[in-house]
Amino acid sequence: MSPLWCLGLSHATAPLAVRERLALSEPRKQALLERLLPACSEVLYVSTCNRVELYGAGSDPELSLSTVREAVAAEAGAEALEHLYEHKGDSALVHLFRVSSSLDSMVLGEAQILGQVKEAFEAGRKEGWVRGELTRACSAAFSTAKRVRSETAIGQLATSMASASVELAKKVFGGLEGRGVLVLGAGEMAALAAKHLASSGAKPIWVVNRTFDRAEELAATVGGKARRFEELAALLTEVDVVICSTGASEPILNRAKLTPVLKARRYRPLFIVDLAVPRNVDPDINRLEGIYSYDVDDIQKVVIDNSRARSEAAAEAEAIIGQEIARFVQARAIREGAPVLTQLRSHAQKIARAELEKTLAVLGSSLNERQRQSVEAMANAIVNKLLHSPTTKLRTAAISTPSEPHPLLGAAVELFGLEVTPLPLAERSELELEEAAAEVLTGTGTQR
Amino acid sequence: MNMTHALLSFACHAYAAAAAIYIAHLVWQWRQLPVFGRVLTGLGLLAHGGALFSQGLLSQGAPTGLDRGFSALAFLLIAIFLFLDLRYRRAVLGVFLTPLALALLTTSLLLPPEAAASGREVGARTPLLSAHIAVALLGVAAFAVAAGVALMYLLLERQMKGKTFGVLFSRLPPLHFLDELNRRLVLLGFIALSITLLTGAFTGAAHGPAWQWRSKEVATLVAWTLSAAMLQARLISGWRGRKVALLTMAGFGVLLISFLASYPLAHDALEGQ
Repeated sequence: MSPLWCLGLSHATAPLAVRERLALSEPRKQALLERLLPACSEVLYVSTCNRVELYGAGSDPELSLSTVREAVAAEAGAEALEHLYEHKGDSALVHLFRVSSSLDSMVLGEAQILGQVKEAFEAGRKEGWVRGELTRACSAAFSTAKRVRSETAIGQLATSMASASVELAKKVFGGLEGRGVLVLGAGEMAALAAKHLASSGAKPIWVVNRTFDRAEELAATVGGKARRFEELAALLTEVDVVICSTGASEPILNRAKLTPVLKARRYRPLFIVDLAVPRNVDPDINRLEGIYSYDVDDIQKVVIDNSRARSEAAAEAEAIIGQEIARFVQARAIREGAPVLTQLRSHAQKIARAELEKTLAVLGSSLNERQRQSVEAMANAIVNKLLHSPTTKLRTAAISTPSEPHPLLGAAVELFGLEVTPLPLAERSELELEEAAAEVLTGTGTQR
Repeated sequence: MNMTHALLSFACHAYAAAAAIYIAHLVWQWRQLPVFGRVLTGLGLLAHGGALFSQGLLSQGAPTGLDRGFSALAFLLIAIFLFLDLRYRRAVLGVFLTPLALALLTTSLLLPPEAAASGREVGARTPLLSAHIAVALLGVAAFAVAAGVALMYLLLERQMKGKTFGVLFSRLPPLHFLDELNRRLVLLGFIALSITLLTGAFTGAAHGPAWQWRSKEVATLVAWTLSAAMLQARLISGWRGRKVALLTMAGFGVLLISFLASYPLAHDALEGQ
């Protein structure tokens, strides 16, 4: 068993400036991962606007983690280390499941994160950075995320946040036809909200982001136009709706910035939705005349005036994750016990076959076909009956201590003189994993 | 007179039922409710109109006493409301306007009839005076509706700014709609007040100086200036929303004084006679 680990930083732990330094371009990412691979047997690099994370598996997680930490310091400066979080073993697994299920997102339940992790996984598999252990973990994480999405109300929460933003805007403006929208920052939820606004007739849609490329990307998906960050003040004067989801650690829109804008707007109402955590908009500006500013919490009040339903959905999701983790860990335990079991069985079968051949060679021609089959059946029956109890016991034993090999397994190896190769998993099941990965990526993965 | 009273009583009950229906519609969003409300309001308005008409025939002109004034005001208010409801299909306006009309009509029914009691202006009744009174009442009614709309605006804005999303939040029309409606009503009120002031000057001239600094003249002038300033500020400085809503309510308050001061019963109380 090679334990999982995870190391990263997110909107919850690190300011944008630090996160940006770790959001690597493709060649730099390649270089980083190539550098890490000798120390870690596999690595997955996940980068979204709200988080940068590295997952890995290897026989020595401590060594892997210290190598990764050094590499992170080299890429983003020693300061970045202060903002890192780390998980090892099953806690890393839980983190991966929670991230994929959007329980760790800025906006609880937003759907994009799953796609982003899948994309990272796909890229990793193609390059050969992601192998057996991570493939299994990711595949389980993805099907868990699907379960969470279909069985809890958490997914509706994000879509309903976007449509609630639209409802609120309509409460100010009436219809949204021809109302200009400014999307500030390229967060996942901003895109969703912008799409909802656009489908209500709002236009034009401007996208402003510190990185212009990303603004262009988002603009393309929502049918808007990217503009430079320097044009912010002019755009604020022009539009009616502003959606913020930048990763800035300090408010971008505050009283000082908006007072002249309001004057230039001749106090036309300005509707602001702040989907960022930490907030992009100083709550104080809501007191300015004509400004209607809402943050994530406010909007969730509209979505479900019951924060109870929200925490219920989250609790249900956590429960599903708990179940899926248990299932995964159990499956892993069975898998790790499996070599002993298969060895035991093949050992016994080998003996039976050898003896059978000897006997048949002696009796040979005196037996007709039916008698021959009876003898073979008897040999198999003896093997099966004899092994039934030990295999059941060994399987139960393996499940009972999922995180480490059970002593009974060792005893079986010892007693029967089996030869179990220490870590045959990755090689043995490479083909099976390819199939699993294909299933995961095409979305046909078995849903339980 | 009995017939008139029966019509007024019917109108009063119809408005009351309509008000109850509109308020119930806040809680239960049944689609039939506004239809019932509309029909009842319409029937009430017809009966009310009939009563005013027969009273007018009796007194050969526009309403004279304070009771008639209140009644006519309620009639115009309901007429404006019904027009808006049919035009914009915003039944929620009825929650604020029908009770107001009901209160006005009830007050009218409770007041002592003073049609023939006061002989003060009866002798001077001319078509111009009738027009003057009718237009003045229309101005007050427009401001009454505008004040109701302004109240709705303030309530909705309060919920939107305070982020407490109650029943009113989901039922009230958008802020932009309310603000625009306010602008139109104030414009209507302004035009009516301008005509009132002009015709008032001519009708008053028959009895002496055109402008005598009487309380109704001053109050009407203040309200007229206020509405002129509001419309001007909207155009020039982009005033809107909350400020305008508050001013509208103040304007309605001032006009109410002017309205009361136009009738001997209340005029005497106001002038301290």
